[in-house]
Amino acid sequence: MRDMIAQINIDYDLCQDPLVCRGCLTVCPTVVFVCGPTKIWKFRETDTKEYKVVARYIDKCSGCGDCEKACPTGALKLGFISRAELRDRFRAERAAKLAAQQIQE
Amino acid sequence: MCWLCEKYGDSEGGRWYLNPENYARRLYKVRKATEEASGADADPQSAGMGAGAIAELIKARIAEDPEWEKEVRDEALEHAYQTHFAQVVTVDEFMQILDTAYPLVKMTCGCRRVQRGMPDEENFTCMGIGPGMYKWERWPETYRGGVEFMTPEEAKEWALINHKQGRVQTIDVFGTPYIGGLCQCEYPGCVAVRNRVDYDFKFLLKGHSVAKVDRDKCTGCKSCLNRCQFKALNLEVYTNKAYIDLDTCFGCGLCATACPVDAINLLDRESLPGLANNW
Repeated sequence: MRDMIAQINIDYDLCQDPLVCRGCLTVCPTVVFVCGPTKIWKFRETDTKEYKVVARYIDKCSGCGDCEKACPTGALKLGFISRAELRDRFRAERAAKLAAQQIQE
Repeated sequence: MCWLCEKYGDSEGGRWYLNPENYARRLYKVRKATEEASGADADPQSAGMGAGAIAELIKARIAEDPEWEKEVRDEALEHAYQTHFAQVVTVDEFMQILDTAYPLVKMTCGCRRVQRGMPDEENFTCMGIGPGMYKWERWPETYRGGVEFMTPEEAKEWALINHKQGRVQTIDVFGTPYIGGLCQCEYPGCVAVRNRVDYDFKFLLKGHSVAKVDRDKCTGCKSCLNRCQFKALNLEVYTNKAYIDLDTCFGCGLCATACPVDAINLLDRESLPGLANNW
């Protein structure tokens, strides 16, 4: 089990046309990123500008930094956080969600 | 017996995806006219099968919370098996399906766009089948670039090329049991294969076959070695024979057809007590 987990922040003011750029999507050795449409239109194709890159498979990131180097606008920042810290954060999130559900019931 | 064959197979107990009924037009449902959705997770196909579930599953794993992980998994799969999932088939079965379904089209692979940003025009490896293909314009966000109609002969030729290149062939269900798509996939570009291999997310089911090495016939030529997309195949260096992990094998048959001396046999999964029900 790894000690450190990637925290990949993407500034969407700078990352504008990811499907045309494809920088991080192409270079990542472990396919951490996914790029999906932000809005589903009916009866027309989505514009590439309506796509958004997110770092989904963060548990696969080795931290090589190729994505940061490939990003032409400097939108992508790669950092790391200790697994234990992230574990506690996600546990807290989950506990808060379950508590909210119980109140609703 | 496989629960899908039991429910959707023919009266003779055949494999469910070879039952022509599951390709019938009456099963095809036009997607409901919902409102234009917002967010990549609004449409399960837009950012990969089970996209939202996988994002949460990764969180649950990092949180080391098996109960949470199970909850995400069970909920997502219950939904998937009613609506949209996939199963591995052999190339021979793939050909039979191409004789059954009509019309047949070539279309973009949504997964490799999502995971690698591949331009749609370079990415026409998936196949769509059945009446939905006349209506592709209803979901242009998924199938960018439209569809290319093929004759059954063209489709078979295309399927063989893909098989030779090393892509796993799967059937895709759109509203169980309607089979409306045929994928030709790889690890890790295919979201379904990736999520199954890395997260054991059973959106993609193993096939009815399983590949076994005939240790007398295997010459250790290594022709099969680069064929497996499921990390189930390696070379036993000391005995110089191919080794297949039968528990991990998905039964796609890519290794079997690459073998020049027919040393890899495809067995019926359900005939093996140790592997039956390992979908």
